[in-house]
Amino acid sequence: MQCGWPLLGPLQWMRYVNKQVKVKAGKDEERRGWLLTVDPVSASLVLVNFGEEEGRASVQVVMGHAVEEVEVLQEADEETTQRLQTSFLPPQTRSLDPAELRRRRGGVRRWLEKNRFPVEEEGDELKVAGVLTIAAPYGPDDCYSSNQIILDRIQKLMRNQVQLQPDHPETDPA
Amino acid sequence: MTTPVSVLRLPKGPDPNSRGFDPKSPRFIALCRTSIATSPASEADAEQLPREQHARSVLRESFLRCLLSMANKKIQFHMYERVTVEATFRASDIDVLNFQVSDLHTPIGVQKEALIRCQDVILFTFDA
Repeated sequence: MQCGWPLLGPLQWMRYVNKQVKVKAGKDEERRGWLLTVDPVSASLVLVNFGEEEGRASVQVVMGHAVEEVEVLQEADEETTQRLQTSFLPPQTRSLDPAELRRRRGGVRRWLEKNRFPVEEEGDELKVAGVLTIAAPYGPDDCYSSNQIILDRIQKLMRNQVQLQPDHPETDPA
Repeated sequence: MTTPVSVLRLPKGPDPNSRGFDPKSPRFIALCRTSIATSPASEADAEQLPREQHARSVLRESFLRCLLSMANKKIQFHMYERVTVEATFRASDIDVLNFQVSDLHTPIGVQKEALIRCQDVILFTFDA
């Protein structure tokens, strides 16, 4: 069962990314597709095959432990590489004007302070308890922290704010 | 098969957590590397180490976004012994050793919630 694939390491795996590959797995499964990424933890290959229409794609993930052989078929051209790299990114938020961003930032800051979290404004970002940063546009998915527990709590809190006051972001609930 | 049916439970193993998910079982410890080692080449070459770490995080972030996009979608799992099952993906653990799924369609019924061991899976597919 063991082939060397899981032992190659990140630098070697990177050389296969954005290429069309043919993967043999299990006893007699064979799949081909554009290699989007290789999970460094499980050595699993993520293969993408684009569908007819824009935005449709079929994805196959081959588990690292089942890989027998990986063969490169072709390199991706500029367009395919672009398509691959943007396929799983979160949708681009349209850029908001500075006044709107300031309003949102203030609203989020007041909500966090109301819930007794120390918040500071650092330029365009909010710093919470010194360990979590919120960047524009200050939604729950714009939080960055190395502390999983705080990240989870703040995200839950921010989602509660959205639920409680969907139409009045500026009003402080009394 | 659309109506969930109760699935007969297989007999319990020798200890309460013995369906392969016990974190203290020798199988779990053998399969789950608690830390991912740097490659020997990177340990020798101090310049290569940051590049390897950067590659590692780029690859992992991409993979995590892929897992995120799978949430609540129907996935087909192709497992050993030519077994193919369909289920709705809910979550994965950090080491990609277990997947939590709902509505797992098996030949003996639909299991409302289930854990699938990744070591049993050869590959899985879904439509993005």
